[in-house]
Amino acid sequence: MPVTAMIIEEGDNVATCLEKVAKGGSVRLMLNGKMGKTLKANQAIPYIHKICIKPLKKGEHCMKYGLSIGVASKDIKVGDYIHVHNIESARGRGDLE
Amino acid sequence: MARRNGRGASSSKRLRKTWWGYPRENGDVGARNYLLLLSGTLYANPTCERVARTLRHSVALTHPLGRCQIGPDIQRTFETLVGHGQNANAGAVIVIDHHREEGCTADEIAHEIAKTGKRVEAINIREDGGAIDATAKATRIGMEMLRELTNERRQEVSVSKLLLGLNCGTSDTTSGLSHNKATGWVTDQVVKLGGRALLAETTEMMGGEGVLADKCVRPALGKRIWRMVEEMEERILACGVDLRGSQPTGDNMEGGLTTIEEKSLGAIQKAGSAPIVDVIPWAKRANRRTGLHVMDTPGHGGESITGIAAGGSQVLIFSTGGGHTINHPLMSTIRITGNPLSARLQADTTDVDVTDIFEGAPIEVAGRRVYDEVLEVASGKMTKAEILHEDNAFAINRNGPSV
Repeated sequence: MPVTAMIIEEGDNVATCLEKVAKGGSVRLMLNGKMGKTLKANQAIPYIHKICIKPLKKGEHCMKYGLSIGVASKDIKVGDYIHVHNIESARGRGDLE
Repeated sequence: MARRNGRGASSSKRLRKTWWGYPRENGDVGARNYLLLLSGTLYANPTCERVARTLRHSVALTHPLGRCQIGPDIQRTFETLVGHGQNANAGAVIVIDHHREEGCTADEIAHEIAKTGKRVEAINIREDGGAIDATAKATRIGMEMLRELTNERRQEVSVSKLLLGLNCGTSDTTSGLSHNKATGWVTDQVVKLGGRALLAETTEMMGGEGVLADKCVRPALGKRIWRMVEEMEERILACGVDLRGSQPTGDNMEGGLTTIEEKSLGAIQKAGSAPIVDVIPWAKRANRRTGLHVMDTPGHGGESITGIAAGGSQVLIFSTGGGHTINHPLMSTIRITGNPLSARLQADTTDVDVTDIFEGAPIEVAGRRVYDEVLEVASGKMTKAEILHEDNAFAINRNGPSV
């Protein structure tokens, strides 16, 4: 059984996996209640964490809700686990001042 | 399935447009009719608590402040205490202070609360003969107040009399997909029926300012939202650290939230599609305009909902990813979650379960269940945390040091 992953807006880079996903496990995308294509997870993804569904180059904005949730700190492929190891916030960064 | 909370609670077909509350002289309506024991300063806390333990139907609000605070900081404490005394959930108030708290005396607080028309008395521990005599005096006055309060009856009032507080906490990736969306649906219904809602948590607007500014009825309000988020961000930058770890918090990140922007875009789903009609400072009383009001508060849950209660909210939806025990002692706090794991782990304090959203239930089905719960709680049904005395969330925000 593939794990369902919810997409919020068409064009978003990420989908939220509704169960934990094993490395190599399959993830079925859902947008507005409709099931779409199935992806393979390149790494294990914890419960309710995000999978990349549209590739990102380092420095590009990662979109969710149709808006930026941060910037890719490295290139990210479809199927990659997306979290703090590859996306950085662009706000409140007193450490960069 | 006894652990499933609040599922199937909604049976009536049409949306209820009224609730049952305690109308006040100034036009406000209370969802509760408590006697409030309000402490002016930390040294009056035990006396307030002693009286509240003696008197059924009373609530004590205690805190560590009210002394040796300067300028705007003591003013903030004063306004918060006044705001809680004025909140319609307090039917009568006894303010207790210790000696003389300059800028925050019991007499000054009582004077402001009396403007609502409700009965209020001030007790001074020193002038009234010390801790034991002050306790006795407050207990006797409080008993007489409660004889009157408990002889009042709820009356049917319109949803337009509701100022619904909105707050989220221990957010995770389910927040923006489920419980915050259901909350947004409730916000829209309340506003459509002439009511008001109060959104807060400035830190969690960072990255979503544009979305909120677009909802404002006047461009000047949108500018105020941009400005207050900017000021919050400046305060954070001045600390010279990465906000991450504090916002998002450790449990936010464990819940899959990667950045403050992501958390914010989920958090503002609580606003629904209602127009923003005013933007107000922390703990300031909301005006009577129908629509969504925005209050400038930190993301700290206790401080944020304390600001909202001082703003006049009778009932608050606290939508949480991780599940929560948070509860304001005076403002009825309804905890909801769409995270199936949290609904199970934190069932003891979860009032409404909206996890069916992840099984394909439309937002309005879950939202309707939350809406019904709001009106039931406003009409007297106790929340789980209210029953459990989880009175953990009266926290006055500070902007200065103790001196």
